[in-house]
Amino acid sequence: MRGRDGISFRVGAQVDMPLLVGIVAIATLGVVNLYSGTSVYVDDPRRAAFADFYVSQIYWIVVGVLAGVLVAALDYRHYERLAYVFYGGGIVALCLVFVLGEDIRGTTRWIQLGSFTFQPSEFMKIVMILAVARYLADDPKLEPRTLFDLIPPLALTALPVALVMAQPDLGTSLSYALTAFSVLAMMKIRRRALLSLLVGIGGASVLIWKYGMREYQKERITSFLDPQEDLSGTGWHAMQSRTAIGNGGLTGEGFMQGTQNQFGFLPDQHSDFPFAVFAEEWGFVGSVLLLATYCFLCIWSIHIASQAKDRFGAAVAIGVGAMIFWHTLANVGMAMGLLPVVGITLPLFSYGGSSALTMLIGFGLLMNVSMRR
Amino acid sequence: MVLFVLSVFCVLIGRLAQLQILESEEHDAESRHNIIRQITLATSRGVIRDAHGKVLAANRPSYNVYVVPGIIDMKTTWPRVVALMGLDETERKALEQRITDLKANETKKMQQTLLKVDVSRDVVAKLKTHEVRGPRPAGEAELGLVGVEVAPAPVRYYPYGELGAHLFGYMREVDADTLLRMQGRGYRSGDRIGAIGVERRWESYLRGQRGWRKTVRGLRSPGRQQREQMEARYLDEPRRLDPVPGRDISLTLDVELLKATEKAMRGQLAGAVVVVDVRTGRLLTAYSKPSFDPNVASGGSGTKAVREAFRRLFSDPLKPTLDKTISAAYPPGSTYKPFSALAALADRLVNPSAQVHCRGGYWYGKRYFRCTGVHGHVNLHEAIVVSCNTYFYALGEALQNAPGKAGIDRLAKVGLDFGLGAKTGIGVNPEARGRMPTRSWYTRRYKGAFRGGFTLLASIGQGASTVTVLQLALSYAALANGGTLYQPQVVRSIETSDGTIVQEFPPRVRRMVPVDQGHLGRIQRALTGVVNEREGTAYKERLADVDMAGKTGTAQVSHVTPRGVDPDKVWYFNRDHAWFAGYAPSGAPEIAIVVLIEHGGGGGKNAVPVGMRVVEQWQQLKAKRMLARAAATEDEEGNAL
Repeated sequence: MRGRDGISFRVGAQVDMPLLVGIVAIATLGVVNLYSGTSVYVDDPRRAAFADFYVSQIYWIVVGVLAGVLVAALDYRHYERLAYVFYGGGIVALCLVFVLGEDIRGTTRWIQLGSFTFQPSEFMKIVMILAVARYLADDPKLEPRTLFDLIPPLALTALPVALVMAQPDLGTSLSYALTAFSVLAMMKIRRRALLSLLVGIGGASVLIWKYGMREYQKERITSFLDPQEDLSGTGWHAMQSRTAIGNGGLTGEGFMQGTQNQFGFLPDQHSDFPFAVFAEEWGFVGSVLLLATYCFLCIWSIHIASQAKDRFGAAVAIGVGAMIFWHTLANVGMAMGLLPVVGITLPLFSYGGSSALTMLIGFGLLMNVSMRR
Repeated sequence: MVLFVLSVFCVLIGRLAQLQILESEEHDAESRHNIIRQITLATSRGVIRDAHGKVLAANRPSYNVYVVPGIIDMKTTWPRVVALMGLDETERKALEQRITDLKANETKKMQQTLLKVDVSRDVVAKLKTHEVRGPRPAGEAELGLVGVEVAPAPVRYYPYGELGAHLFGYMREVDADTLLRMQGRGYRSGDRIGAIGVERRWESYLRGQRGWRKTVRGLRSPGRQQREQMEARYLDEPRRLDPVPGRDISLTLDVELLKATEKAMRGQLAGAVVVVDVRTGRLLTAYSKPSFDPNVASGGSGTKAVREAFRRLFSDPLKPTLDKTISAAYPPGSTYKPFSALAALADRLVNPSAQVHCRGGYWYGKRYFRCTGVHGHVNLHEAIVVSCNTYFYALGEALQNAPGKAGIDRLAKVGLDFGLGAKTGIGVNPEARGRMPTRSWYTRRYKGAFRGGFTLLASIGQGASTVTVLQLALSYAALANGGTLYQPQVVRSIETSDGTIVQEFPPRVRRMVPVDQGHLGRIQRALTGVVNEREGTAYKERLADVDMAGKTGTAQVSHVTPRGVDPDKVWYFNRDHAWFAGYAPSGAPEIAIVVLIEHGGGGGKNAVPVGMRVVEQWQQLKAKRMLARAAATEDEEGNAL
């Protein structure tokens, strides 16, 4: 069936069942885990609102599923056409944050919209994937690329990274950069270009460390490198998270029975450490199953990319897969003490409307590419 | 790409396995440690009582007011706290400044800070009615004092204040060195430990043993049932160890007599009095002046008051912190003469009835040794009664000239036999040894130049001889009881907190002094004469109803005191020490008493009145107690009928 403007609703197109099952599994476990994680606050008069997070998370997931279905329904080539428009809108929204945004805990990330607050930087993750994918699709050069060739996509990445860094939000800007680089990794790049790129990144990170980062961000990294130095602040959080995971043992403490969480030793269990809550309650067995599910989603998106009918579709699938991969790696690695504590969410496990919505839209894109191979 | 993803997930799962399988036990223990809190159950320190059951040291709660600077509202709450506590303007300003400063300090502002120590019960009652614990209840904000708390802390309490503080001791906060030294005995920083006296010596008995109770912590408002469930689930047995209260200690001291001593010593700046039971060696009184308030020293009025008090105490030239009964040695002066006499008598170097002519001094070689007056012809008895130095110089020369030229060693030997110049082994407070100089001591000290004059000086208790007040009291007890030298005793018994006696300390004899009873009788008669004969040095100051014997002493401190100068005009620290040593009753002695008045001038004039009044009080107390006992027995008999 073909509508006007070439919008196609191919009812009966092959729905990607494995992908769907994976998404449903993660979303369900995420809500259940959030319920347990925030149940601590039921009796806490100051933070009773936390205990109802799972309800709003359910609302957001419902909204996200609808958005995802909608995204999946429209042929992704429309997005290809509009990618730069979206990108422009995203950049404007990121700039608006500084004008309209609310200052929460020292950072400006949110915009109030009616009774909702939303976080443009989250949606920008998808928009960036689309923009970089569009650039790749437009540039059919086959020989290895020089550094000069890389300037436009790198600029596409650098602009939002810089804007988000200024909020400041280290986690999200890292997520942008890693996702974009993963998409760019599809290209053939000259060895010399790759080398100078690496040197450039190294130099940039030194500059960022010196001038671009706030004290608390540096602290997170130093406390990771030397956890004994700071057992009262961030290092303490990371240590308690490790203890929680270890406490889970082979089979876990049982649903809502994890003492580390129930006794309030896990800070930010709804955003930074949902994996610790899960691992404590479900143990090694449950955690391996969860990680396997994430792993499956990543590999499956590579599979979808390899089956895609055009460059844009493949790049989008790789982009979404990379986003899930880096988020999972960063968040789980941080919970297990392998990586420093930077606020990167665990897809569909961490509480957050914008984040859930973004992830589900991402899955919608994946589904879209998968259905139209 | 797939391989990369797989390998990263393998790393994550590997780490997961490390945490959850390999290190599972460690993390399990850590998480248990997180949620289980061991609550210390306080024990109470044992009570110290006197021989008649009067409490000398006990515990009382001190109510301290704390504030949380980050919570207290300086506009609404603070003025009400000021009003309720009745703070004056300067106090208010100082405290206000402190709270404001702390409010600005991010790390300290949520910590409770001590506002005031030991507020009165009235204030406690007022503050308690308005105290609010935990989060502020809605709508009650203007009623409750949010951020203010009154909490009791146990404080050692000494009802008799300065009285006997040196012997009973006080408490101090345990310091880092002690903590290190006492490792494994359960002391924690912030604990209090006995600083001196009985509190220190018997610390391990008095202290008791802390208990503990384990509980699951951090449960937000748990119901009783929920708590019990949680505890059953997470706590291992045993969950509780009961505290053991400290042992109570009964002393040999009589606090009523101590009070009388303090009264008798009023008007004197510094000195010491010791009263011992001649039949047991038990201390009835040990009084050192000036003293200090152990209540303040123990921190009952806050740490600032402690620092301030000690700064003052240590800068005082009268040395209030020094226990002058045990820890300081003084030249015994004429109180030593009975022992010189015993030495000469034992060696048959003196005929007690032979007379020496005193013209106010004595030539020995090219040196002239002065006497206290011109006594004319005196024999041994008279020499002791009037305290004639000339007689004892002659006696000293006789000892010096005896075969072997070891007269001074003989003097030292008799002194040592009676416990002078040697530690008594009382066990409480650091003991000064004192000194009975011997020929070899002088040889060492004066590079080989021993002179006979030293023996002469030693025979009147001057020169290098020093003794402590306690030693002298025990030696006079031995003179009185026929030559039995006792180990001094402070603690009579140890009881559990419910009164069961755990350990009792019977009197201990240190030695039987090898002394001829005939010689001793002669000395005792002379000592009785000192008080009761018209010429006696203590006669003028004797009390009609007091029956005692004794010996006065005036110990020279400065060699430059010129003769004929009014003693009251000499600089205080150059004045002579005044002594009075004796026992009562003279016929059948029960107690021995030594009075030392530092820089008190003449012993007869200044030390004797003090001794007399103390003995008088002792007689009255004894009579009163006998009457009470008789009445009690009568009552019992009446009840029986």
